[in-house]
Amino acid sequence: MALIRVEGVSVAYGKPPHPVLADITLEIQEGSFVCVLGQTGCGKSTLLRLVLGAEQPNTGRILIDGREHRRPDRVCGYVPQKYSLFPDRTALDNITFGPEACEFGLFGRLRPRFYARRRAWRQEAFEYLVKTGLAPGDGHKYPDQLSGGMQQRVAIAQALINKPRILLMDEAFSALDPGTRADMQHLIRTLWQATGTTILFVTHNTQEALSLGTRIVVLAREGSGGSRIMADLDVPRPCEESEIPRLVRRLEGVSRQREDRRELEYKAPLLDG
Amino acid sequence: MAFGLIHAKPGRGSGALLSWMLFAVGIGLYIYTAAERHRANPDDRIVPTVAQMARGMYDAVLQPPEGVEAQGGNRFFSGMLWKDTEATSRRFLLSMALLIPAVILGLHMGLFPYVGVFFLRFVLFFDKIVALSLLPILFIVFGIDELSKIMLIVIGVTPTVILDTFNLTRSVPEEQVVKAFTLGASDFAVAYRVVLRQIMPRVLNSIRLNLKAVMLFLFAGEMIASTDGLAYRIALLRRHMGMDVIIPYVLWVALLLFAVDFGMRRLNRALHPWFREA
Repeated sequence: MALIRVEGVSVAYGKPPHPVLADITLEIQEGSFVCVLGQTGCGKSTLLRLVLGAEQPNTGRILIDGREHRRPDRVCGYVPQKYSLFPDRTALDNITFGPEACEFGLFGRLRPRFYARRRAWRQEAFEYLVKTGLAPGDGHKYPDQLSGGMQQRVAIAQALINKPRILLMDEAFSALDPGTRADMQHLIRTLWQATGTTILFVTHNTQEALSLGTRIVVLAREGSGGSRIMADLDVPRPCEESEIPRLVRRLEGVSRQREDRRELEYKAPLLDG
Repeated sequence: MAFGLIHAKPGRGSGALLSWMLFAVGIGLYIYTAAERHRANPDDRIVPTVAQMARGMYDAVLQPPEGVEAQGGNRFFSGMLWKDTEATSRRFLLSMALLIPAVILGLHMGLFPYVGVFFLRFVLFFDKIVALSLLPILFIVFGIDELSKIMLIVIGVTPTVILDTFNLTRSVPEEQVVKAFTLGASDFAVAYRVVLRQIMPRVLNSIRLNLKAVMLFLFAGEMIASTDGLAYRIALLRRHMGMDVIIPYVLWVALLLFAVDFGMRRLNRALHPWFREA
């Protein structure tokens, strides 16, 4: 059984309704690394937020492990592009937030056992810091004292320490410079191979999708309706160098066809007139 | 040369000189005016000289208020100034404590939609009521003792604090709230351990900005119906044209407010080392 099932999901915003996603159906197997690729505004992040449970579809439903998923919870870790860390906590406290919240709740600090457990979490958090390529000294810095890449490393550690079954990443590396982005891509692939967590990674960058995913789902808008899945292909791993241009052509071809069609639809009334 | 003027950086010396200049000019002008008026009329009571004010304040600090017997021990603590400061501070601190529920309400309104819908319209309307216009009603309903003065401050300041906290809560990025849920936090853990912690320095800044409003309503209440307090004393001395004490009292109130504001700023920095003020 698929871990994530998206069943006939449609989403529209505003009045009159402006369709964003139209009849999306998708199955994601446990342990896969799926990249959702598409141009800005095509509804990639909406699809991710639906799986996260932060948004509800107008029609259709999202199932995780066979059960309907309607609110964000520990099953899904989340790494957004921005605001991924709590600014009032050091990197270490950001990472230990999850275990603290799960085990002790709101008034946990009043219980004596909390402080003994906190020592253990901090030790584990240090291990995650090192795993994500940061120095132990960075643990005591606040997010605004860290670079964008370091912040995303902490955000990944923060999400992974809770051992979620699914990790949802929304353009998580888009704001980084090319060098840092390549490092982060290598890091997330290594962590995925080590943990086997199912990853749903949203990006608009074809190369990034190809270098990361075991499967790529392309979303594109069709006419004035919402976006649909225009391509869904498995990427062979390891991916041969010679395969890449063919895959890029295929993925970019889908997007270009959509663009050409939209342009024609836009120009048609003008030409007729 | 707008570029040059905008990017100019005053040096340490010139910065200090410029920032104190208006104080020096004000004090100089006052001393000059007082001297001129006293040369024309030695009995002038409108602009007292510095010596007269010093004498007036000396009495205010060491003499007990009228109708109160001088107690043994330290004369300062049984003096008029101390007694008045004590009475006003007590009311002021009580009013500040009543702002805590306002912050909690604003937080819940911003975070829990049903609480927001239930209270928002009412608070927005309440915020538009001119608190001072309610003063007679408050005196009729609550009498002329402490409660009416505290209620005046509550009515005057809490809607602003509630709405400020509400807006600050709404400004916390949704990603942070969603993220906290994915890390296993409950609704109340998100409210108090994520959102409140993040907005707290801004809430304290908002309360700092409202300090003057708190004092304004407190003074209005004290001037109209009170038997002690700094504002009561100023109103009382006005009847006797006691400018030699009124002016130092006004400066004392300003100094107290400055000290509270300074203390809150330092506290804010100490409690929230991560917070960078814009």
